[in-house]
Amino acid sequence: MTMTAHDETRPGGTGSGARLGTTGGTGTSTTPTDPGRRDLIESMDRPHRGRAIKDHVARIVMWGSFVLAVVPLVWILWTVASNGFHMITTSLWWTGNQRNINTTDAGGGARHAIEGTLIQAGATAAIAVPIAILTAIYLVEYGRGRLARVISFMVDILSGVPSIVAALFIYAVWVTTFGIDRNGFAVSLSLVLLMIPTVTRSTEEMLKLVPNELREASYALGVPKWVTIVRVVLPTAFSGIVTGVLLGLARVMGETAPLLILGPYTKNFQRDLFNGNMPTLPTMINEDRSDFALSTAAERMWGAALTLIILVLLLNLAGRFIARRSAVAK
Amino acid sequence: MSVSRIGAVSAIALAGALALSACATENPAPAGSTQGAGSSASAGNVDCFSGDLAAEGSTAQKNAIAQAIKSYQEACADATIDYNATGSGSGIKQFIAKQVAFAGSDSALKTTPKDGKVEAEEAKNACGSPAWNLPMAAGPIAIAYNVNGVDKLTLNGEVAAKIFNGQITTWNDPAIAALNKGVTLPSTPIKVYFRSDESGTTENFTKYLQAAAPSVWTADPGKQWTGKGEGKEKSAGVSAAVKSQDGGITYVEWSYAQQNQLHMAAIDTGSGPVELTGETAGKAIAAAKQVGTGNDLALKLDYGTKEAGVYPIVLVTYEIVCSKYADAEQGKKVKAFLKHYASADVQKSLEPLGYAPLPAEVLTKVDTAVDAIS
Repeated sequence: MTMTAHDETRPGGTGSGARLGTTGGTGTSTTPTDPGRRDLIESMDRPHRGRAIKDHVARIVMWGSFVLAVVPLVWILWTVASNGFHMITTSLWWTGNQRNINTTDAGGGARHAIEGTLIQAGATAAIAVPIAILTAIYLVEYGRGRLARVISFMVDILSGVPSIVAALFIYAVWVTTFGIDRNGFAVSLSLVLLMIPTVTRSTEEMLKLVPNELREASYALGVPKWVTIVRVVLPTAFSGIVTGVLLGLARVMGETAPLLILGPYTKNFQRDLFNGNMPTLPTMINEDRSDFALSTAAERMWGAALTLIILVLLLNLAGRFIARRSAVAK
Repeated sequence: MSVSRIGAVSAIALAGALALSACATENPAPAGSTQGAGSSASAGNVDCFSGDLAAEGSTAQKNAIAQAIKSYQEACADATIDYNATGSGSGIKQFIAKQVAFAGSDSALKTTPKDGKVEAEEAKNACGSPAWNLPMAAGPIAIAYNVNGVDKLTLNGEVAAKIFNGQITTWNDPAIAALNKGVTLPSTPIKVYFRSDESGTTENFTKYLQAAAPSVWTADPGKQWTGKGEGKEKSAGVSAAVKSQDGGITYVEWSYAQQNQLHMAAIDTGSGPVELTGETAGKAIAAAKQVGTGNDLALKLDYGTKEAGVYPIVLVTYEIVCSKYADAEQGKKVKAFLKHYASADVQKSLEPLGYAPLPAEVLTKVDTAVDAIS
């Protein structure tokens, strides 16, 4: 008799057992009063314990990996911040340059390098952003067939180009072929090569997120395609695009290889992109790094490194802030 | 829609704020403001130019030229001179590519072909006129060591060569002890550090080893190290390595050895140990022969010298210039600065930085050559 009863309850039992497995420990609160059923549940509990162990192990491994990944990050930040902190708290750091300050002299400013980095990043963005956004619009809104596939493929290839290769390419064109002096603009050109693929990809993703219903509604009202893109699609995706641009910019600002090859360092203010050497934070770090055994140079190096981290962090924060307000994401 | 509007507006505002702040930073602070660099040295007879002058090259003369640039810029507020210490080889390459007005190099332009190219010819083509090697500073190379309890150490060419090619491996080796009577040497293993980058210092040091101990050091001198040991980047790298390693030894410019307060070995050339001083190293420079012709002042040092009181391991660092610049304006700038660099006051100020003074005879020739630049 009991067997029959058991059999009858079986479907329900398996059901709750399966649910037990998926919902973890919560199933035990619904312990049934029927002894046969309890047996059944207990028998199903055994594999459940095994799963709990696996669950714990997986959890520990995951947290362990997380901590492992965070340790170097915190370590780097702590090292740079503790070594560079007192340098960037002086007001001269934000107003002065390194003119007539030799490696054994202490202090000096980093404003020339901060300006150089910002100017070069600005020029890079001015060239790269329009090209990247127009490419993305073409790929999402117009591109069909072979041409679009080729362009998309090329963007992928470009995003895989190491920065040193981009720098050497510009050096070959700019210096070797045309015989023009190395200057800030040449640096910007090589950074453009690095920025275009990142911004194109992020803009593409943002444009794809714009619901098709919006476009269709616009077409239904008789609005031409290009007006739809300009007035409906782009404004909807705008904040997302800006985020992508800022993140791309932050990435490009920390680049070093193009600067070492195309942008010789100077200790003076230099705001002209087209004439003379232009100082930047990475080249300033490199300059003082070569004398890191001297505390005076080492201090400047850490200060410049911290300043660069702060600049990139600010841009990243601005990017996240805008992303959070992205209409498309909602 | 209103949500997207808010997002868009805030995005524009942020972008605007960024742009504005970028503008604000571009607002020029008083251009060329000297950082309260004390009393600017009296202009004296410094011939000032206004504008930029770019140079690149040797790390060995970095501290010297930085000092010369500083005093020049202090006298001339409108002048800007950049010297990027990227290494002798790189400096010559950029000079040939017409990227810099002059190059700093620890060895004169090569007149013999290498890989089918002759440096001197390439430089001549880039200038449109012969390129000159002008010695500007002499940097003694110190054999710097760090051995616990040993403040004084004497080496000779043969023992140094054996240490740097790995034949002698401990500090209490009989060969070292024979040169250092009365010094207690520990049994610490010798740890050799060398320059991992291509360096004029390496080239000059190996030239010395070859000249002083031809039977022990058989490799050809060159910018790339061929001996034993562990590579460290640049002069700062090897100095820092020796400073932190008991039993460490390296070859490094005198100025770096001084800055890092390292012990330096005296060299016994056959007539007693010679300490490294401005005077003993200056004698080696004075004995150098001019191998260039006319105003090309390339020098050849006698590394195998046995004369008493001469410290033999020195390098001469040159400025490589065009004799006639295609851009007359640039020629004037180079001339004005090098005139200042070669002046007695500046040369004197280099000695505390670890450079040996150039003999008066050489300086006069340099001065004549600088005058001939156009």
